[in-house]
Amino acid sequence: MSTTWHVDATALASYAEGRCAPVVGASVEAHLMDCRECAAALRELLPHEPVERAWHAIRAHVEEPRPGFAERLMTRLGLSTETARLLGAVPAFRGAWLLGLFTVLVFAGFASLFAEDLGLALFLVVAPLVPVAGVAVSFGGDADPAHELVTVTPYSSLRLLLLRTTGVLATSVPVTVLLGLGLPGPAWLAVAWLTPALAGVSLTLALAPYVGTSTTAAVIGGTWSVAVLTANRLGDPVEVVEPLMQVLLAAVALVAAAAVLLRHSSLDLLGRHS
Amino acid sequence: MNTTTVALTDVGKSYGRADALSDVTLALRPGITGLLGPNGAGKTTMLRILATALAADRGTVEVLGSDPGTATGRTAVRRRLGYVPQETGFPRGFTAFSFLDYLAILKEWSDAETRHAEVRRVVELVDLTDVAPKRVSALSGGQRRRLVLAQAMIGQPDLLVLDEPTTGLDPAQRGRLRDVLGRAGESATVLISTHQTEDVAALCERVVVLDGGRVLFDGAVTDLVRQATGRVWMADDRHPAAQHAWRTGTGRVRNVGDPPPDAELIEPDLEDAYLLLVGDAAHDAGLEAVS
Repeated sequence: MSTTWHVDATALASYAEGRCAPVVGASVEAHLMDCRECAAALRELLPHEPVERAWHAIRAHVEEPRPGFAERLMTRLGLSTETARLLGAVPAFRGAWLLGLFTVLVFAGFASLFAEDLGLALFLVVAPLVPVAGVAVSFGGDADPAHELVTVTPYSSLRLLLLRTTGVLATSVPVTVLLGLGLPGPAWLAVAWLTPALAGVSLTLALAPYVGTSTTAAVIGGTWSVAVLTANRLGDPVEVVEPLMQVLLAAVALVAAAAVLLRHSSLDLLGRHS
Repeated sequence: MNTTTVALTDVGKSYGRADALSDVTLALRPGITGLLGPNGAGKTTMLRILATALAADRGTVEVLGSDPGTATGRTAVRRRLGYVPQETGFPRGFTAFSFLDYLAILKEWSDAETRHAEVRRVVELVDLTDVAPKRVSALSGGQRRRLVLAQAMIGQPDLLVLDEPTTGLDPAQRGRLRDVLGRAGESATVLISTHQTEDVAALCERVVVLDGGRVLFDGAVTDLVRQATGRVWMADDRHPAAQHAWRTGTGRVRNVGDPPPDAELIEPDLEDAYLLLVGDAAHDAGLEAVS
């Protein structure tokens, strides 16, 4: 609808600049509701860039949903929104998984405190396998439902793998070390599981393109569990993390890590398992 | 524009002892090319090789001037590629917007403001603005398919490799998709694999037919249709000489094959031509096997 009179140019200019008296401003606003000519004249007076910016901001607010809890937490911890989003895409960084992980760890920690050797064996089984499981649900065709799409993006596969692996280690290692500090026995036990964990993670990554992360992690988990429980049955579960085993497992970790780095271009393609 | 953007020369790919592709030679230019073929023909393998997801075992591949057999070549291609795989999952808990944002980050859109503007552009392009804030798990199959197409359009790529992009879309959505792809094909090289011959007829000037890992036909859609001229007829019943026959909505039977002398011939369409091409190839292969 158009009216027969229009706001004079001076009043409109002072309204656009936010300088007019409140009563005049209210009157101009009421008129603008019905007068297309004056509304168009006002648009000409308003600087376009801030209007567009405001419009984009409104659209962004409406259309861009709030990130999930895990992503928000990672951003608060100092990660960029982009890194948080890349990590938030995989199960290892979602609330349910993290909660399950900590529950298992706490259970293993308490078991080691109250059930002596068997409890200690349980802790030594679980602690190194937590990061292995985290990596298994973070990378490759088994873990990433959009793996094929992700593979053909220009983002470096090795960088993505290292980012996710670092994230898994960052979420699982400190808690496990803290729980380990409460173990009966020597203090070094709190970190003794780190070498088998690194060996397991490196092996999972090295073999993932050929047999898949889930299968590799399952085989590693089974083998490690049998080793620890056998040592426990023979007398002392701690034998699996004694110095000789540490050296052996460190060698496995190094060889597997070297294999990952040397053959990282294979991560760039869909593996045989994909 | 007649510049070759994609060139495959004697390309082969095997899984164990089975050849998925054998000596495929093909050159693509900007525009839309349809890829037809029965299940197991090697279409998905070929698209994955072009999309740099798989490496060819034999032959040479050149995509947008780069060799995807090398790491630098792959990255160069990926910066100019849009890809829709036959099937994909979605990260759990992601909304449509965050899924596209995730892929845009992986496509090296590091500035959040321009990235989000690009995500909004592709969301509008595939008509998903209303559902952008919804979780992907709450979207219909057709909406998810359009979401996958939207991520392929991020950055207006020079090469679009689309594996059955119209699966699960209703006719209106398919029409909209044709519009989007038609416009993309004005400047980009678009290769669409599909079982829908009507999509190829509606969109593509050129068609490639694969069967058993080999190229059976490569040429204009009109040339393929012309090959079926005189081999499609209507009758009251199925004819024993017909390779394919089906009763149409009129109650009469459309026969495709070698017609009897007094047959009531009709104009073939692309589907007739495709069925005849694949059927004749299977027949010839059977004769070769017998002899």
